[in-house]
Amino acid sequence: MSKFRFQRAQLCIPYGVFLVCFVLAPLIVIIYYAFTNGEGQFTLENLTGFFTSPNTIGTLFYSFGIAVVTTCVCLMLAYPIAYILARSRFRHKSVILMVFVMPMWINFTLRITALKEILTVIEGNLSFHPFLNTIIGMTYDFLPFMILPIYTTLLKLDNSLLEAASDLGADAVRTFLRVTLPLSVPGIISGIVMVFLPSMTNYVVLDMLYNSTYIMGSLIGAYFSSYDWHNGSMIALILLIIILVFTLFTNRYADEDAGSSRGGVLR
Amino acid sequence: MKKKCSTALGLAAAALPMACALCGQTVSASDAPITLRVCNWEEYMDLGEWEESEAIELENGNVILGEKPLYEDFEDWYLETYGREVHVEYSCFGTNEDLYNQLNMGDTYDLVCPSEYMIMKLIAEDRLVPYSDSFYNKGDENNFYVNNVSPYIYETLAENEINGESWGKYAAGYMWGITGVLYNPEFVTGQEAATWKIFENPKFNRQVTLKDNVRDSYFAALGILKADELTDESFISAADYHEQLADVMNDVSPDTIAEAQSLLNALMDNVYSLETDSGKADMITGKIVANYQWSGDAVYAMDQADEDGFELRFAVPKESTNLWFDGWVMLKSGIDGDADRQHAAEAFVNYVSRTDSAVRNMYYIGYTSAIAGNENDDTIYEYIKACYGADEDAEQTVGYPLGYFFSGNNEDEKYMLITAAGQEGRQLYSQYPSQEVMDRTAIMRYFDADANKAINQMWINVRCFDINDVPVGVWVAILAVLLVVLGVNTRKRWISF
Repeated sequence: MSKFRFQRAQLCIPYGVFLVCFVLAPLIVIIYYAFTNGEGQFTLENLTGFFTSPNTIGTLFYSFGIAVVTTCVCLMLAYPIAYILARSRFRHKSVILMVFVMPMWINFTLRITALKEILTVIEGNLSFHPFLNTIIGMTYDFLPFMILPIYTTLLKLDNSLLEAASDLGADAVRTFLRVTLPLSVPGIISGIVMVFLPSMTNYVVLDMLYNSTYIMGSLIGAYFSSYDWHNGSMIALILLIIILVFTLFTNRYADEDAGSSRGGVLR
Repeated sequence: MKKKCSTALGLAAAALPMACALCGQTVSASDAPITLRVCNWEEYMDLGEWEESEAIELENGNVILGEKPLYEDFEDWYLETYGREVHVEYSCFGTNEDLYNQLNMGDTYDLVCPSEYMIMKLIAEDRLVPYSDSFYNKGDENNFYVNNVSPYIYETLAENEINGESWGKYAAGYMWGITGVLYNPEFVTGQEAATWKIFENPKFNRQVTLKDNVRDSYFAALGILKADELTDESFISAADYHEQLADVMNDVSPDTIAEAQSLLNALMDNVYSLETDSGKADMITGKIVANYQWSGDAVYAMDQADEDGFELRFAVPKESTNLWFDGWVMLKSGIDGDADRQHAAEAFVNYVSRTDSAVRNMYYIGYTSAIAGNENDDTIYEYIKACYGADEDAEQTVGYPLGYFFSGNNEDEKYMLITAAGQEGRQLYSQYPSQEVMDRTAIMRYFDADANKAINQMWINVRCFDINDVPVGVWVAILAVLLVVLGVNTRKRWISF
């Protein structure tokens, strides 16, 4: 019996096991169910059904709409805050940052319940503006995820680049548009990824804020609870592919920008 | 030889848990503890730990106090009564569908407590073990179920059949109730609330809630669609009214499903929201004025409102109402022919059917137990009297007959509860509806595979956003944004060249 020799590669074994058990195996099951029917035969019906029914495609559209609007609102709110925080001369920046991040420490359902009451006071009857409420809820929920990455990239921004820009005659607006903004793109991208994807499926916010329209997450649940594993799996798969494409796209974008902006000067 | 034997036994005992886990096989040694796997709804059994002050003292001298979880009390009782140790593995499920999916994925339970339609489905799929004959032997004083169950529930179970088999053979009633409309009398009259049509009443636009599940919503839709037929005098007075009513409320023909879809689509624009749990709180905070509610939850909401100093009431729609119940059934996959295990399972059902157990559960859950007691044990009736009976100094009292539930005879003077006047639609009337209300109940059966698919698809269609509903303006805006993005990109390329 040879003596056991430790190799660094063996450190991967626990994660490898985890990956196979909880990522790979379920994925295979999902793919299997997505392309079979109740009798276990191969079929593409689930796929074509999804893209031909006005209801499922409408749900995709609606989820996309919520995600896009939420992301835009978050970005518009988060960027100025992150910018002010990162560029301010205030010595205890982390204290102010904490104020923005603190809501994350409180349980999420609790926060949404509180938000529900606040919105009721403002709007009166919540059921007249389901879409608006959803956006507010999602923004409330995900805003810190947008602030943090942008803040971190802006904090690391080299001050000498800004000085160089103004030495070369750029005014404040020009410096921001040509130097600060392009250099913070990686932070924006990771913020978008962290907000966009979960807001497509986070149906708890809709449930709690009385929006009874299904989004992708609740649609999967609806199929599963009616014992229809096949259509449910297909939607899960479609969602997975959308996320994959989205991630590839943003990665490419982030790389491109990182590459062209090396040295801190754009064009 | 003897030693060898015991070693083999020891090995078998060691391998037992593994064997159980792997293939559901059971090995029973004569005095090894029996493991009973029970799966119940969440918060559907008293878990004890009552304060001393919570003890319920009844006029018949019984004092009821939950110290330990009911299933642990059962373990003690079983050891005492049958001299055998039993260990209850108690777990919970969230919805009937969850339970069904768990069973299909290989979870093994001996005793579960699903709702009537899931029981039907399980009977139809031949997955249940019938109760043994000795379980129904009234002579055995430990057979609490058969001695204590309400004759009304017992008969309902016996009369309903699926594939020629009566439910009573497979299911023991646990909790039951009806559905109706919880309303705030300040804004809604009793008459307006006593119909499913309240959900399409424009007067309460965006102030009423429906249930967030397809079965309840479909039932309400049927109630509205068939209202004229259901309230017609000749329909009600027909000799086979109950059969007719059950057929109408279980109509799953494609035409009816299509009609229900367009009706529910319209209702979605009139209701505040669909809810499962939040409706009670929204009634109390005043966000809504009426809410589709199960009788047990209605009682809970009324109690809460009373504490806050205002009144809520419960109305039962005049068209028809859904009689539902949850019952204990034994699963073939769990019992697996093991007589000891089945005996323990039946004893468990008997133990929770003791009148003191039923009172503990009713106090803890707030729903109505299927247990009524008998001539010698009036604990349940005493409990209701303690809860709802008229105070001695009450000025006006009325008699509320409960005989249909307790003895099977509604004229029974013994079960004529004297209660304060003006309580119609309050807690007592929801927890124990009158005979007149029970006459228009219908049990909603399970949907067969085709109907289930059609109805669930109908519900998904109602809930989903229709792509054709996107306003033209939104399409134009999307196009504009795309063009701008595209334009910026090309310009960028151009500049970088």
